[in-house]
Amino acid sequence: MDRTGQIKISETIAVLFIFFVLILFGIIFYYKYQQAAFFEKEEELLGAKAIEITLKTLFLPELICSKGAAEPEDNCFDVLKLDSVDKTFRKYADDYYFDLFSYATISVKEVYPGDSSWLLYDKPPLKINRKEPTFFVVSLRDDLTDENKPQYRLGYVEVVAYS
Amino acid sequence: MKKKGQVELTFNWIYVALAGAIILLFFVGIVIRQAKVSEEQLSGEVVRILDSILSGASVSEKTKNSVEAGGLSDYVIYFDCNEGVGEFGLKGKPARMQNSIDPLFAPKEIQSSFILFWSLPYHLPFKVIDFLFVTAPNVKYYLVGNDEEFVNEFLDSTAGLEQEGFNREYVADLNDLKAEGKIKVRVVDVDGLQVPEKGIPAGLNLFSDEDVSAIAFIGGTNLANFYQKEGNLWKKLNKEPVEIISLDEERNAAKYAAIFTESAELYTCNMKKAFDRLEILTEVYGGEEIAQGKIGGKLKQMVDFYKNRPASSECIALLLEYKSNAKDALRALNTGAAGCRLELGFGESPLSCAEIISVANELGKINEDLRINCVQLY
Repeated sequence: MDRTGQIKISETIAVLFIFFVLILFGIIFYYKYQQAAFFEKEEELLGAKAIEITLKTLFLPELICSKGAAEPEDNCFDVLKLDSVDKTFRKYADDYYFDLFSYATISVKEVYPGDSSWLLYDKPPLKINRKEPTFFVVSLRDDLTDENKPQYRLGYVEVVAYS
Repeated sequence: MKKKGQVELTFNWIYVALAGAIILLFFVGIVIRQAKVSEEQLSGEVVRILDSILSGASVSEKTKNSVEAGGLSDYVIYFDCNEGVGEFGLKGKPARMQNSIDPLFAPKEIQSSFILFWSLPYHLPFKVIDFLFVTAPNVKYYLVGNDEEFVNEFLDSTAGLEQEGFNREYVADLNDLKAEGKIKVRVVDVDGLQVPEKGIPAGLNLFSDEDVSAIAFIGGTNLANFYQKEGNLWKKLNKEPVEIISLDEERNAAKYAAIFTESAELYTCNMKKAFDRLEILTEVYGGEEIAQGKIGGKLKQMVDFYKNRPASSECIALLLEYKSNAKDALRALNTGAAGCRLELGFGESPLSCAEIISVANELGKINEDLRINCVQLY
């Protein structure tokens, strides 16, 4: 009788053990699945954020080529503004522009005819988990020329979004 | 022995039932929790998508579009703004989005299968920011009054939006207004002679108070009053008339913004965002020390360029020397924007912001004069 009881107890323990092992497997599987889904979602959100920041940058009144009361030129940055706007971006980086761009780096690079570059906004997080660069071609308008007509250059805006 | 066996059998069944119930409860708990998390995630996702739509619509100039709300039509979307921070989200759900940058003018609540977006640039005199107007086909705008010029301009401006579902109608007399259906009504009294004097028209008596609101532009001025239906009367929502701070131009973004916003608080709170940006932009054009009269930014580059060219004395004069010059105008605009921003931050009616308009007009004139022989400031 004692022996039968002992066998039954061992049997119950074995069943419980297998049950908990299965539960554990389930939890590990679910955790791994959730982790993969989370990373995928994070990547998707970062990509969307990068595009959103690029879009906002392209239409910034601080940079756009305005023409008096007329509509501004599309995908064009004013070189005179680019030359001086970095101070304003730095001054208001925490108070204002962080709400607009969050953790990101925004720079403009000229590719033809010169090779000037402007770092407009640089706010990486302390620990960078992931970063997503986005590029967009823009024209750069320089109004102050001896020919009395604006000179256009070719460049691109690079936006790096961080998470 | 037989009795012991019976006890053991009963015990086993009780044990199995209890263990089964506990395991079942465990999984039911997980399912319930997961369902709650999923619902919260869904509302968060919906708000995030809405934010993306708003960002896209607000950055590009003069866009008019409608977005099918899909599953969103089951929810009430609310819009709020306090101390310069705008907020929107789904009513009764934890997910919400805050924004202290983009001015968004909308009814307090929207529930519709389509959402309409319209962005207009706000100039003072250069482009400051894009205003985003949000509304829905089930919000009907009734224009009343005799300011034909403005009525025609508004009807023309919104013609494209009407094709997307924007609902507006002109009735000369407020009492001729007949509204029906499950809609929200916004009365726009273009010359301020009918609201609140004529009371609530009979055609709106059956509507609930929160579904009927009005704005009355006081004729011949830049002032407006906001109203809400209260029984048979109009209840004024602002103590002092609210000033519409804008240049006298077609498609007056600040005036249109007042039409799309239900209350004076929401309006002034969102206008504060525009003045935050205006102050920053004056520094882009005039330098960060323009308030102290020291030039920098784009202005300094122009001055440095023209200084070395004796033939360009007119340009230097327009920028620095004439009685009405760009430097002084930018300085006045910078200090005016800062003062105005502070006033709006305290929730005060921005009556003392009026000075900004004359300075902006002055700068606009200087910019036009610059166009003749020099590079324009903006």
